[in-house]
Amino acid sequence: MIKQPEDAKNVIPMRRGLNLRPQVWTVASGKGGVGKTFITSSFGITLAKLGHSVLLLDLDFTGANLHTALGLKPSHLSIRQFFEGEKKISECIVPTQIPHLSYVQGIWDSWSPIALASEQIYKIVEEVHQLKYDYVIIDVGPGATLENLILFQMADEKVLITTPEPTSIEKSYRFIEYYLCTTLKEGSDTEAYSHLIQNLREYRQRLLNEPFSIKEFVKRNEGISQRAYAKLVEKPPRLVVNGVRTQTAKTLGHSMRSVCHKFYDLDIHYLGGIDFDNAVWQSAKSREPVLLSQPFTPLAGQFLSMCKHLIDPTDLRAVV
Amino acid sequence: MTSHSRYSYYEILELDSTAAHSEITMAFDRAKATYSGDNPAIYTVFSEEEARELLKLIEEAYSVLGNKTLRALYDQKLFGSNASLDDLSYESLLAASRLQSLDNHVGNATIPLQNQEKVLDLIKATKEWSGAKLKEMRELKGLTLDRLHQITKINPYYIHAIEEMNTQNLPAKVFIRGYVLQISKTLGLEGGSVANSYLSLLGDRTPLARKA
Repeated sequence: MIKQPEDAKNVIPMRRGLNLRPQVWTVASGKGGVGKTFITSSFGITLAKLGHSVLLLDLDFTGANLHTALGLKPSHLSIRQFFEGEKKISECIVPTQIPHLSYVQGIWDSWSPIALASEQIYKIVEEVHQLKYDYVIIDVGPGATLENLILFQMADEKVLITTPEPTSIEKSYRFIEYYLCTTLKEGSDTEAYSHLIQNLREYRQRLLNEPFSIKEFVKRNEGISQRAYAKLVEKPPRLVVNGVRTQTAKTLGHSMRSVCHKFYDLDIHYLGGIDFDNAVWQSAKSREPVLLSQPFTPLAGQFLSMCKHLIDPTDLRAVV
Repeated sequence: MTSHSRYSYYEILELDSTAAHSEITMAFDRAKATYSGDNPAIYTVFSEEEARELLKLIEEAYSVLGNKTLRALYDQKLFGSNASLDDLSYESLLAASRLQSLDNHVGNATIPLQNQEKVLDLIKATKEWSGAKLKEMRELKGLTLDRLHQITKINPYYIHAIEEMNTQNLPAKVFIRGYVLQISKTLGLEGGSVANSYLSLLGDRTPLARKA
């Protein structure tokens, strides 16, 4: 047996086969139609190909279609049964044609919409943590709504999708803003929080005559919850730019990272860009995931390197 | 002054103070692409005017951090114990670096005090710069022939010939012009006019002119 160095054992989490809770990734976006569902399914397929057991969870309440991205017919077993109290999430799981990959059907028979309470969302989170999977990837609906935000906040990896179009970029910034403010508000003193928001606003409007940083503010003011701030910096949201056709679009992620840093004093991480590929919509028409019909394209390479980075960023590998 | 001008150049370029030169260049390229033109990334966050202002700061930051001498000076001031904000302005850095580069030119040989007025007088009085005048200037500034050679990298044989205006030992005219330019600059004179007047004086003595 090869002896591993002592600290390497601590760095690489041994998730498979152990009774640890699954890693939860939430894929969200400010605007609809930017490719959340496509990216969720592709992450799932890539991770399953790498040998991890993966569960995809469709929580898009505006109309679920993860099954279509996976090339499946909608299942009768859906998350509706969970919301109506009939079943647990673990009983709603449907296997797919891909080994190691299962999914939970979202609500597609939407003739009687479900009134969501945030307690129900927290209950999902609680149950998800008890599942015996390596990874659970949640596909949420578009926009900065409360249920999306809760699912985004609780995730181990928060993935935000945008396209290079100004409409999508604009809504991504609104999402980030919502995430930033809501997170800081949690457990914070109302007065201190409004003081912080006022400072933040003045800083953005360049009325503040001194350098501003949320970090310094939290240090100086007791009222802001340390835990809320720790949540913000511990795992920065990951940004993915989908539908890249030009070199400028490829560098867009770096630019958005810089803008977030300068404007919101919030660090985000640019995970990477995904090329625009006609094969994507063509395979959607023929109902077969593009990563299965064309597994050796640059597109597949991009998903592979992103997944590998998220699994273990310290893992050294060749550039694909 | 805007609030942003109070940030350090490292913060403006979003860099660690230990960043390597290549990282600085890359950060600058990215920042420039972000805040110039119509990059969609600044849409609805920064106005055009704000972006222009940011770009100005970014360029200023790079002109300092991208330059080894200026960066070293900046670091000294930034991490020094008694740095004030005024010390960190771009102008003060430029001035400091100019002082430093002057020091480099004349080396340790500072002008002897009693000669300072004489130097000024000589500059005022001299209309035509001959080799002898250049030599006088050099001696007033306390530079030996060797030291001048070390600074300008001109062969001392030629420096000597230039001072003597010895046409037999001088190279072609274009070289003479270059040498005189360098010597006069090192001596703190205005290179162009000195070289012109020197060459016109020399013109009468070149072998060709004598033959004619």
